[in-house]
Amino acid sequence: MVLKALDIYKLLPKKNCKECGDPTCLTFAMKLAGGKADVDLCPYLDEQAKSVLGATTRPPIRLVKVGVGVRSFKIGEETVLYRHEKTFYHPPAIIFRVSDTQTDAEIAAVTRRVRDETFTRVGTDLRFSGIAIENTSGSAETFARAVAAVEHEQAHLPPVLIAKDPAALSAALVHCGSYRPLLHSATAENYKEMCALARKHGCPLVIRAQTLDGLIQLVKDCTTEGVQDLLLDPAPENLGAFVIRSTLIRQLAITRSVPELGYPVYLDASSTGQQDAALVLGIVKYASVIVTSPLAPGPAKATLTLRQNIYTDPQKPIQMNPGLYRVGNPDKDAPVLMTVNFSLTFFTLEGYLESSRVPCFMLIVDTEGLSVLTAVAAGKLSETLVRDSLKKFGVENEVTHRKLIIPGYASPLSGRIEEATGWKVLVGPRDAAEIGEFLHEEWQKQD
Amino acid sequence: MTDVELAKKRGEDHLKDTLPAIKKTFVYEDTAYHLPISFALTGTAVHDLNTARDVFSKTGNNPIVASECLLAEKTATQGKEPAPYTGFIGDTVIRKLGYSLVDGSILGLALVIGSPDSPGAAAAICRELQEKYMLTFLAGPVIPTLSDNGVKLGLEYRLIPLGSTPAYGIHFVDIIARVAMMFGGVTPGDAHRLLAYAAERAKAIVIVFPGLSDDEIALVDGMRVLGFPILSLGDYSGGAWIAAEADTIVRKGMEAKGIRVNVTAIPIPMGCSPAFEGKSIRKEEMYVEFGGGRSTAFELLRMRPVGEVKDGQVEVIGPEINSMKEGSANPLGIIIEVAGKTMKKDYEPVLERRIHNFVNYGEGSWHVAQRDLIWVRLSKEAVAKGVKIEHLGKLLASKFRMDFPQLLDAVSVTLITDPAKVADARKEAEQIYDERDARIKGMRDNDVNTYYSCTLCQTFAPNHVCVITPERPALCGAISWLDGKIAYEISPSGANQPVEKGTVLNAQNGEFEGVNRFVRKASHGEVDRCSLYSVMEYPMTCCGCFEAIALMLPEVNGIMVVNREFKGITPSGMTFSTLAGTIGGGAQTPGFAGISKNYILSDRFLQGEGGIERLVWMPSPLKDELKNRLVQKLVEKGLGDFFDKIADETKAMTIEELMVYLEKVGHPALAMKPLV
Amino acid sequence: MVSDAQFGWSGTIGEVFLGATKAEGGTRRVSYRIGGGTTLPFLEKETSSPSPLIAFELCDYPLFWSPIIRNYCGDLVNNLEEWTKTADTTYKADLIRLHLNSTRQRNFTDIPAVGKTVETILSASSLPLIIEGSNEPKIDSEVFQRCGETGQGERLLLGTAEASHYRSIAAAALAYNHSLIAQSPIDVNLAKQLNILLKEIGVPRDHIIIDPYTGALGYGFEYSYSAMERIRFAALKGDMDLAMPLICSAADTLNIKEVREANPAVQDAVAVSWEFYTGIAAAAAGAEIICVRHPKTIGMLRQAFASLKARAGPAGVQ
Repeated sequence: MVLKALDIYKLLPKKNCKECGDPTCLTFAMKLAGGKADVDLCPYLDEQAKSVLGATTRPPIRLVKVGVGVRSFKIGEETVLYRHEKTFYHPPAIIFRVSDTQTDAEIAAVTRRVRDETFTRVGTDLRFSGIAIENTSGSAETFARAVAAVEHEQAHLPPVLIAKDPAALSAALVHCGSYRPLLHSATAENYKEMCALARKHGCPLVIRAQTLDGLIQLVKDCTTEGVQDLLLDPAPENLGAFVIRSTLIRQLAITRSVPELGYPVYLDASSTGQQDAALVLGIVKYASVIVTSPLAPGPAKATLTLRQNIYTDPQKPIQMNPGLYRVGNPDKDAPVLMTVNFSLTFFTLEGYLESSRVPCFMLIVDTEGLSVLTAVAAGKLSETLVRDSLKKFGVENEVTHRKLIIPGYASPLSGRIEEATGWKVLVGPRDAAEIGEFLHEEWQKQD
Repeated sequence: MTDVELAKKRGEDHLKDTLPAIKKTFVYEDTAYHLPISFALTGTAVHDLNTARDVFSKTGNNPIVASECLLAEKTATQGKEPAPYTGFIGDTVIRKLGYSLVDGSILGLALVIGSPDSPGAAAAICRELQEKYMLTFLAGPVIPTLSDNGVKLGLEYRLIPLGSTPAYGIHFVDIIARVAMMFGGVTPGDAHRLLAYAAERAKAIVIVFPGLSDDEIALVDGMRVLGFPILSLGDYSGGAWIAAEADTIVRKGMEAKGIRVNVTAIPIPMGCSPAFEGKSIRKEEMYVEFGGGRSTAFELLRMRPVGEVKDGQVEVIGPEINSMKEGSANPLGIIIEVAGKTMKKDYEPVLERRIHNFVNYGEGSWHVAQRDLIWVRLSKEAVAKGVKIEHLGKLLASKFRMDFPQLLDAVSVTLITDPAKVADARKEAEQIYDERDARIKGMRDNDVNTYYSCTLCQTFAPNHVCVITPERPALCGAISWLDGKIAYEISPSGANQPVEKGTVLNAQNGEFEGVNRFVRKASHGEVDRCSLYSVMEYPMTCCGCFEAIALMLPEVNGIMVVNREFKGITPSGMTFSTLAGTIGGGAQTPGFAGISKNYILSDRFLQGEGGIERLVWMPSPLKDELKNRLVQKLVEKGLGDFFDKIADETKAMTIEELMVYLEKVGHPALAMKPLV
Repeated sequence: MVSDAQFGWSGTIGEVFLGATKAEGGTRRVSYRIGGGTTLPFLEKETSSPSPLIAFELCDYPLFWSPIIRNYCGDLVNNLEEWTKTADTTYKADLIRLHLNSTRQRNFTDIPAVGKTVETILSASSLPLIIEGSNEPKIDSEVFQRCGETGQGERLLLGTAEASHYRSIAAAALAYNHSLIAQSPIDVNLAKQLNILLKEIGVPRDHIIIDPYTGALGYGFEYSYSAMERIRFAALKGDMDLAMPLICSAADTLNIKEVREANPAVQDAVAVSWEFYTGIAAAAAGAEIICVRHPKTIGMLRQAFASLKARAGPAGVQ
């Protein structure tokens, strides 16, 4: 059962010694309750208290790091079944796969693609996460050569090594063992050797079984062998199997009913024969590493966008950078429309402005991501903010007129904005969909 | 003078005697409902004497049933009447009519029946019904009277001539029966449901002219059981028929049935829209002003009994705008009188607050404050366009009706500009303000059995729900118990729902069986128990918009409070922001509670933990904000010197400093029962 | 042996029937039962529970439609009858959704034309139909009356009721026995309130399908996704005012920047990917009807749904 902060506090020494790094035991207790601290940080807990607390406060899903350097990624430490309950924390890694039967040139091309391809949305650079090399040939030598080809590109991408034969993996690890690659996979048959390899190189290991019981057993076995950083591959034969198993794993892990399932999930999107659908389901249904063949432009952008959307914290709306944005080619007479920096507001308005085909400026002010209605109610959208933004972004140099269009829901501020800025205020529609009509009728009427 | 009761009795007997004379079989084309009235009441398809006798006795010798059977046979025997009479109307057209009823393009149905003495009156009544979006059915000599006087009849004019005698008025009832079966989910045979539908959903009235036979009187009077008000212009006395004059009969009928015409336009020479809300009128721009310290002005909204308020009436008592000098300040009294079947006295202040918004919606009008502190201006531009004081009244009357279509049946506005009269009226108003204040001030949790919930912030915290009591407002600070109650009554399916207290499980903590049950359901099973007055045990869940957080400081055995505006670290080791992030989102966190600032002044604050003496620390700006009111409360409790023992960031910033300070001042919390 | 996760559900999603076959008084060749779910999507024990239905959207005024579709479908878009037939027999949709966007022209008054259009598509395809009426208060009343009457007996799905105007569409649903789509602006409580308003006016629960409004992928989709999850969750926890099937129609998809500005060589593929990804994710959140505008999305969705229903192999779970 999940312990609350008060219950945890009762088990702590209550000395406020600060050696855990927090100023009070209360603070430490709250962090433990949120799965955000390690119980080992407290030097005054006895073993019994530690194990009771540890079991119930340790993050229910282990945090695993893959790769090294700038492109390394972390997965795990999730706490909910539905993103709306709190949020999903660590976006899944999307890994492009190459086969060791491909030519070096082909392998290099895919590697460069993952290294360079960047899709920028909402001020964030979205990228694919790593390269998986599969030992399709069955030969250790061929496999090792393929891995070398990847590393030759110096892309420093997190590698995923897929092989059934520990010997092949061993050969490949010569070329990338110090880069913390993810090893796929340990099964009931080969886990001892796989664990030995993982231990030797300090890599995370994927374990694979088609039943949850099988996975649980493997977890026990591998942790006994000394490997703690594990991923679970439920080996789904179709999409339905994936959804069921992944959902169960998540549910049983976060309720701490089956702590052995408290590890991130691995999915090979092509194994189900429905790669695109598997990518979608992997993203929304709890996969943390998704391996796929290199994606065409459509699926590539859609995958990165979906991942970005689903893994946005629902309580922290994405914000635009405040500033003066152009739609089309506005000249000195173009209208200036002010609104908030909540990204959804921005894009919705921008979309309608583009369809209206009226070149204009969007003055985006910093309401810390709040929507118009909320920002007005909370007092975050104020006449001083508008006045300061007009000055900061040099709007007076861009247009000769002094007319500002404000969103309909900001109408209570119209008089105060006029007074503070000296500009004339036109109150626009409440619904962005009507902005086109407004510009064609109201704006054209202005002298 | 026709005595309705006697005539009705004679009519019922006559119908009973005539029924057995039915010989032929009869059937109406183009309907799936046989004889709709008897079909709806009994489920029996009536087409001959036997079945007619059967349903007649089953319905207790009902005159409407008898009339339906008799007319059906007459139609079969003598054939349909010629145009313009419609006789029985088929299902396809009825479906269309029912559609218009549901979608609101028709507000209700009227039956106009009999022989009018005055053709002009009859025409005027029909015109009024048309203007008010009523669908009118006509039966009897009123039809030729109207058409002889040039009134156009037909479906497209919403004046439908059923038949040459009042007996054809029976079709009015069979239409309603069919609408009930087609749209109202009434199964044939479910008489109870049919009557309920007719009384509650079918907005139908009957207007009776002179000249009805006994049978016809029995028929019309029989419609009362369906909930149709019967209004009469003839010399009918007794019964429950409502006598009325031609110029008020339509209004009375519609009022009796609660049929209201929706207001859609505001007939004043200036724009009116929320877009103008923020626009102020500067001194140079104003033509005239009222109140604001320069003259006497007040506003008041009062409820009156239904029927005493003439909807849309606006009166200006005293000089109009053209007698007022440009730039002058003048006295003004704004009195709004409202009536509505579901209107309550409690709602007066809530509706009164809207005067502010509505006046500001006017392009050339501006309003600030409330009660007798208001300040109102009309712009030069507006006055130049022809705006007068009475237009302000029209704006208010229209907006109140538009914004509260369910609640208000009638709104009238009086604007007093005569100085002496304003002064008198203001004295009365002040008495009413005082009464209202007294009513709210004394409210205690123990006085009521129902609390109110609020789920407005569930968008951000799916499992959170606030339970609001008279002594504990919502944690956002915006909604009081009275607000919740009124919101519920005005929109029963809205964000505020009633919560029955149920039995008291723990009086000190404020734990109630009904509240627990409600919280369990509203949180989808996540939260089992909720103590309204406790921070340590089962405190209320928090969303994220609380004004402040009360939390335990076990080391000093006390509770501290930090508000949103305070950015610094508190003795707990955490800032408001860190705390808010952990306890928000719908979680129930023992030891932590999100609260509104005003709750700190409530007697219930910290009651579960032994009372206000648990309070050990608060940011100094918050202390200042609450000082006067808090000190007053403390003095009342005999804790006059306690205020200064509450620490703030200037006295202690860490838990260690706080401990030292509390010991120094001898803070009572140190000696109280251990919190943990 | 790991047993099923216990979610503690106490409610089920209500069922709505669309389309009426001859036996049911209509002329459709099939009628669908939508809803009835007893747990989260795709976790049902019974493989007989229905897959999400795929609705192909078309319109009667192609000038107001996406140029990508006009390009892909070519001249078909100008012949509603042929386009409808193609959607049925070639694109193989489960449902056809007709947008009467001709009613959005300024000062539109040709109501009889609306009736004729509905008749045309009723005879062009024997699939169950969704009819999207007007959004213009002035003509709303007549448009819905005409649609409802023309489709009487066919158990259409009419769109779309909103809190500020629902009376006409509710009247058509009641008068002519159709179901309706109830749309709210991505807010669970507003969705609930609208359903209560509809209940009060007499629309039975099993005639309502909830549209929480679906923002395009990248343009608010995650809000809609979470709204759907929350509605489904509340329904399964016993809230009867939310226990209706969900419909997903990300109408803005083909207008968003990534699709509009895609390289012409890959624009169709990008459009299809966008619709496909939205559709699968929405289905995972609980949507029972997925609406698409690009013909190529249909087959892809169908294949994916088939794979989601398959249950081969032991999982140690069922």
